[in-house]
Amino acid sequence: MAPARRSRRPRTTLLLLVLASVAIITLDARGGFNRIASGARSAASDVFSPIRSGVDGLIEPAGNFLAGAVNYGAVRQQNEKLQAEIGRLHQEQAASGDTEQALRQLSALLHLPFVGNLQTVPAEVTDYGTSNFAATIDIDVGRDQGVQLGMPVVGSGGLVGQIVQANHSTSTVRLITDGQSAVGVRYGPAGSLALLSGQGIGRPLTADLIPANTSLKKGEVFTTSGLQGAVFPGGIPVARVVTSGTSAAGIQETVRLEPLADLGNLRYVSVLLWGPGT
Amino acid sequence: MNTTTFTGAVRVTFIVAVFTVVQQTVMIDLRIGGIHPDILVVLPIVAGVAGGPSRGATMGFWVGLVADLFLPTPFGLSALVGTIIGFTTGLGTLALDRTAKWLTVVAALVASACYEVLYGALGSVLGQPQMLHVDFPLIVVVVGVVNAIVALLALRMVVWALPEGSTERMPLSGMSLGPTR
Repeated sequence: MAPARRSRRPRTTLLLLVLASVAIITLDARGGFNRIASGARSAASDVFSPIRSGVDGLIEPAGNFLAGAVNYGAVRQQNEKLQAEIGRLHQEQAASGDTEQALRQLSALLHLPFVGNLQTVPAEVTDYGTSNFAATIDIDVGRDQGVQLGMPVVGSGGLVGQIVQANHSTSTVRLITDGQSAVGVRYGPAGSLALLSGQGIGRPLTADLIPANTSLKKGEVFTTSGLQGAVFPGGIPVARVVTSGTSAAGIQETVRLEPLADLGNLRYVSVLLWGPGT
Repeated sequence: MNTTTFTGAVRVTFIVAVFTVVQQTVMIDLRIGGIHPDILVVLPIVAGVAGGPSRGATMGFWVGLVADLFLPTPFGLSALVGTIIGFTTGLGTLALDRTAKWLTVVAALVASACYEVLYGALGSVLGQPQMLHVDFPLIVVVVGVVNAIVALLALRMVVWALPEGSTERMPLSGMSLGPTR
């Protein structure tokens, strides 16, 4: 009898743990677990942020060395580009110190034309996504600075994304390129409506609800619709058209767009203290 | 008995904390083609190799829950995949000579690859179709290779944390897992 019990035990453990996992996933998906999950994530982030900062400071030189080693090709290419850039910058006699560059970026963020009278909170990007399966960034502002779940985030080119996790002093932003992102937009002289969807990290956005054979020019800019109940305020530039066309049997125009904000090189962003209905 | 002692639980907590800190500080910045390693995945794998299916599954569940705290993907998904991969690794290595170092390295490589594919596939099933729109080959290579490199170190740490042998009838000769019961 004993051997039979032994052989059943691992399967029982597996069954129980799988059931527990599925229960957690289901509760999270149905919203019944949202406050607990969000609270746990927030607590973990709050506890972990100072540790991360401290360890980052200690190991940054080694980390940079390793990152440089594994990205040698890219670093070399980037180095060549930077060498050319240095010559131009010398001629401009501009202050090219890192701090002043950062200040210029921040200054640009404070005077974004599309923000209007909306209150903003500038933030520094601290990390590029904790998952290989989602397009997110972490920023160094949180609830203590007035940031709340769902608030829009913009960069110097346009819309960057939306706050999906607000902790005490940090937040996570889901980029508009993430597959879970959808942005209601306007386009064309008549301000027609469409829906932009993310397709994953580094992939172009796609547009829905654009009738077949709609004339779209390459580079045409789509802006947030700002309809009642929309999750973004109106008039924020989102993306520009890269390609468009209609297949033979298509009832919709197939449109690919690239985000106007440089999502691959974000350093500073602004959180708009805005929510639907405000 | 395959019971985890209080000391063992404390040691496992310490190891998970160390791996989490390293993941969230060093590994998150060590990007290759935009993809970062995921060394938390290696813990249920080596726990499966060292302690059998039950320990692999249990380690996978708890490590997965910790990982889920830092991920924007559905809460519990890492726990589910970790459970399955830890169990499967333990089951798949039951009949093999677990004293061989190559086994741990190969198990880490293969199981990490399976973890990433299963993670994306299950995420897609759970309403996140974008999780299939990723560079799977690169993710599999980056995560698999890095985990294969850290596997032996992780194995030593897990064996230190859980020195009791498993009751799951595995050949333990020559491995520092303590007495089997």
